[in-house]
Amino acid sequence: MKKTSTSISIMFALALLLAFCTTVQASSSSCLVCHNSMSGKIALESGQEIDLKVDGEKYQASVHGFMACTECHIRFGEDPHKSPAGTVPENIDELSKKIGHKARVDAVAYSACVNCHEGIYDMVLESPHGENIVSKNEMDAALCLDCHGSPHYIVTAENEGSRVNQWSIVETCGHCHGDKELTEKYNIETNVLTSYIESFHGKKHHLGHKGAPTCVNCHGAHDIKRKDDPSSPVFEANKKATCGKCHKGATDKFVAAITHKPVGPIPHYMEIGLILLTLSTFAFIISHVILEAFSDIRDALSKKKEARK
Amino acid sequence: MNQENTVPKNIPEEVERFNIIFRIQHIIMFTTFLLLSFTGWGLKYAEVDVSSWWIRIWGGAEVAGLIHRIAGIGMLIDFAWHVLYLIYLFSTGKLKVRARTTLIPIWKDVEDVVQNFAYFLGLTRNKPRFCKFNYAQKFDYWAVFWGMFIIGSSGFALAFPILISYIVPEFTTGWIWQAISIMHSDEALLAIVFILFWHFYNEHLKPEVFPMSWVWITGKISTEELKHKHPLEYEILFPEDKPGKEGASDAK
Repeated sequence: MKKTSTSISIMFALALLLAFCTTVQASSSSCLVCHNSMSGKIALESGQEIDLKVDGEKYQASVHGFMACTECHIRFGEDPHKSPAGTVPENIDELSKKIGHKARVDAVAYSACVNCHEGIYDMVLESPHGENIVSKNEMDAALCLDCHGSPHYIVTAENEGSRVNQWSIVETCGHCHGDKELTEKYNIETNVLTSYIESFHGKKHHLGHKGAPTCVNCHGAHDIKRKDDPSSPVFEANKKATCGKCHKGATDKFVAAITHKPVGPIPHYMEIGLILLTLSTFAFIISHVILEAFSDIRDALSKKKEARK
Repeated sequence: MNQENTVPKNIPEEVERFNIIFRIQHIIMFTTFLLLSFTGWGLKYAEVDVSSWWIRIWGGAEVAGLIHRIAGIGMLIDFAWHVLYLIYLFSTGKLKVRARTTLIPIWKDVEDVVQNFAYFLGLTRNKPRFCKFNYAQKFDYWAVFWGMFIIGSSGFALAFPILISYIVPEFTTGWIWQAISIMHSDEALLAIVFILFWHFYNEHLKPEVFPMSWVWITGKISTEELKHKHPLEYEILFPEDKPGKEGASDAK
């Protein structure tokens, strides 16, 4: 299976049928004529395998469904046999060199997001996520697709199928922030996901409380900052304002309640004390109830015996 | 249980054990307790799959949270009413502290526990003779007080955290909130387990009371049962029926 040669199977009949039956409206349709019905993978020079199939129906239902393929895949002109040969605008070319190592397939297309989402792209590049990609040349720091999924099938965040939807974002962030290897590699807190899940916020969110905050409500999303960065919403001095978005009138002593910090020694020993209290109460109750029940049975039996005599 | 009639004819068939106010307080207490337990349990074990289903039954997380808060406030008000009512009863002399009728734990309760265990184990043939409230009932009663102080106060702090943050000392902020959460959740578990095993066994499942002791709704206890279960109270209520006296019934 793992040959360097390509293993493509094209369903010619269907492709031809589609080509004749559908009136070609946008250039995406002509690409999709083949790519919609392709299956299998192709191996690039880098050794990476990429999927040849683009699900046309899902693509057209996505937020980018109105766009022509070549709006992002700029290097690929109208004639697929002469591609890739398109001229790439300077800004995108430059960006593609910065983030190229993140792109599995088409670095230019990955950079083309900036055409429409310029402000957001810049925010991400300035964030610790982007910083790790651009200045440290890391592969595993998050860029657009790591959170939003395949560019062909991006849906709005309100859509439950979105990976950045309210009900899936914790898992999406947790994919890296709950990963032992990654958190150790970047020397970031290892317990953020578990402490969130165990917190009131996390529990309510898990139970479907629409008002319960997820990661992004406190930490921000594209413009995320390190917690010791004064512009971070969870920087000590900004916490009151951040918590105050939901908890009107939040005070300094109140915001101390919301933290990813592990349980300190005082609550820890208090918990042990309470557990001991529970266990000893339980031991007393259970032994009392069981012994009493047996003595009741014993008394009833001896009464019966006496009655028979 | 079919006990033979041991109470003389001149003694009333039943006496009032709990007046209407105590009965209402008890009904509010257990209603709010059940609501709090049902909704709180789902939150405590939110990560368990069945909890999501359970909370949906209660109308979803928002509604369950609202029910929990309303029930919590209701319980605290009920508790405050009870305490104020007791203060009123004691200050007007309608209730007096007497060893045989008080709910306050006394040394005799410890002796009763020891003697009862000895009886269970067959070490003695005599059951302890209880006052108006035996140690199991006192345990039940004071468990609510303990619960009110620990779970009630922490629950109030969790429901109104910003208000409480004004009175929280500065040096405790590093741990107080975690401590409050642990107090609320762990002690609630203790309370539920306690009620489930202790109160349910003693007042519902025990063969002699099954399916339940009706005193919570009628407020009345038969003198027969009183004599059997609370002999020391019976003796001060009806001194005319004393063992050895004429007409005494223990003879047979």
